[in-house]
Amino acid sequence: MPTDISTLESLEIFEELSSDDLAEISALLHAVRVGEGEVLTRRGDTAHTFYIVLSGNYMIYFKGGKAFTLHNRGDMIGVATILTPFRYRGTTVALTDGEALAMAGDKFLELIQSNASLGDKLLQKLTEVIHQRSSYLEEATEANAH
Amino acid sequence: MTGIEAISAHNGWSIAIVGISIVFSGLVLLSLTISQLHKALDIWERRGAYWERFRRRGPETTETAPERECIYLPPNVKESARQCRLLVEHLGQPFPLPKLLEFSDRCGLDHPHSTINELLLARVIIPDGEGFYLWNDNVEFTS
Amino acid sequence: MGNLSDLILQFIGNTGYYMLDYRYLTMLIVGVVFIYLGIAKRYEPLLLVPIGFGILMGNIPVFKGLGLAIYEDNSVLHYLYMGVTAGVYPPLIFLGIGAMTDFSTMLARPLLMLLGAAAQMGIFLTFLGALALGFAPNEAGAIGIIGGADGPTAIFLTAKLAPYLIGPIAVAAYSYMALVPVIQPPIMRLLTSRKERLIRMEEPREVSKQEKIIFPVIGFLLCCLLAPAALPLLGMLFFGNLLKECVVAERLAVAARTSVIDTVTILLGVTVGASTQADVFLTPQSVGIFVLGALSFSIATASGLLFAKLINLFLKTKINPLLGAAGVSAVPDSARVVQHVGQEEDPSNFLLMHAMAPNVSGVIGSAIGAGVLWSFIVT
Repeated sequence: MPTDISTLESLEIFEELSSDDLAEISALLHAVRVGEGEVLTRRGDTAHTFYIVLSGNYMIYFKGGKAFTLHNRGDMIGVATILTPFRYRGTTVALTDGEALAMAGDKFLELIQSNASLGDKLLQKLTEVIHQRSSYLEEATEANAH
Repeated sequence: MTGIEAISAHNGWSIAIVGISIVFSGLVLLSLTISQLHKALDIWERRGAYWERFRRRGPETTETAPERECIYLPPNVKESARQCRLLVEHLGQPFPLPKLLEFSDRCGLDHPHSTINELLLARVIIPDGEGFYLWNDNVEFTS
Repeated sequence: MGNLSDLILQFIGNTGYYMLDYRYLTMLIVGVVFIYLGIAKRYEPLLLVPIGFGILMGNIPVFKGLGLAIYEDNSVLHYLYMGVTAGVYPPLIFLGIGAMTDFSTMLARPLLMLLGAAAQMGIFLTFLGALALGFAPNEAGAIGIIGGADGPTAIFLTAKLAPYLIGPIAVAAYSYMALVPVIQPPIMRLLTSRKERLIRMEEPREVSKQEKIIFPVIGFLLCCLLAPAALPLLGMLFFGNLLKECVVAERLAVAARTSVIDTVTILLGVTVGASTQADVFLTPQSVGIFVLGALSFSIATASGLLFAKLINLFLKTKINPLLGAAGVSAVPDSARVVQHVGQEEDPSNFLLMHAMAPNVSGVIGSAIGAGVLWSFIVT
């Protein structure tokens, strides 16, 4: 079921988008319930889903034991869906029950590539996130160059 | 020989009475000890504070102990926090957060994920800025 | 031809079919019934299936002197049975039980331990009953321990006091343990009122990891310094529990509660079953043992219930007297029976967790009782 547009308007990643853009995106997003201890992404797996946190708390950890936690509405999980080699860099586990918006990775990539202005706005937000998280990744220089 | 006569001949009454008494005494003793155990452990944990109080003479001096932050945690989380502290000591600091989660789960901690989350939100566990985590020793739990 | 027919006749004469009589046949039927109860009805399958098959193995008539039967010195079964007669298997089972038991409900509410103590009156009252029926003190002690509702404890004490009674006592003990859901409820309903059965228990306090680690050490020291004869059983029980709670020896705890206890249960079950040979088992004594066994379970249940009602007279916050029935240390069946009977009155009254406290303290109490009986009767 498509997500309500008012929900999307409150999220930071979508704050600069027009209502037409939001309508286009809402058809691709659906809400998923997440249970405590559930694994959303596993390091090395194909990055098939992109998530935006609506509620709950999450931990993303990487090889070597580095980790960070997400506690805020609007935090993003699974940015690797739009980055080659399209494999998750970290494992995400839910620390509490919560809810997230999920979008198929291929649809997300298609959206960004098919709509230049929309894609540009989304990529700006995503790049900030990628940059913040780059220090946790082994392939830090590779991610920055990308 | 049967009946009451047989019981008396073989000292049955004494064996039964003493036997029941010993079983009761053993379990009463154990139950009394256990009922005081958690109080004794509480006193042992607060021994630092008691020792500090005992050492101080008269009013507060300018040299005070570092200010400790009082954090409220629900009783069940407080107990889990204690167990996490033991695991952190075992892991050393700074420690990898996923390892703490794994050990907590293996040790049978109740709801390890949400417990660690509570500790993160309460700033009992704090990031070191390099992807690892530290235990904040400046907090004291209240419930 | 003469030699051939002699050989054939000799062969026929050595077959079990030829040597079978009504006593062996009876025991073979008993063995099949045990297997049926274990598999089809799921009554204590981990015990009844090995014991049932052991009964079959022990009651195939064999030619004496070939080292086949369990009581023949050089037979395989005899060597395996040594673990029973030497009292080795029961402590190893207690090691596994300790490694899988969570004592936290008991630690949270130590008062409930006394219900476990009260239920052990079944042991000593049955001991008196056995003496009154004409059994010798060592036999009466072995029969009385059936009231402890603990298989390994019953086998351990019987091996020390009256090894020739291991078969009937073990079969009686395990049979009644499997029948706890049948024996206990009528007694529980008879001795408690509806109002009492509806009592709700307070939530227990949280028990710290430190308490759970310290408890087996303290428990062992307190119990074994009081009753040293309980050392083999309680020592292994508390050791197993320490392995479980300390976490650092998790591998050993896992081994204790899986491969060790499973292996020993197989060997103990089969050999105890095989020891119930017809000529040993089908005696008037066995009938007396079975009657006393039923009585001991009933007395133990009643003692626990009545003691719970007694202590309620002195408590501001009453405890549900049904918990007294869980002092019968058939873990966790009697605790489940308490839950079931409690829920008949109030489906939202969850007593299982609280019933585990007297249940596990009953294990400790029955081991102390066994040690006491052993020291009094042997010395």
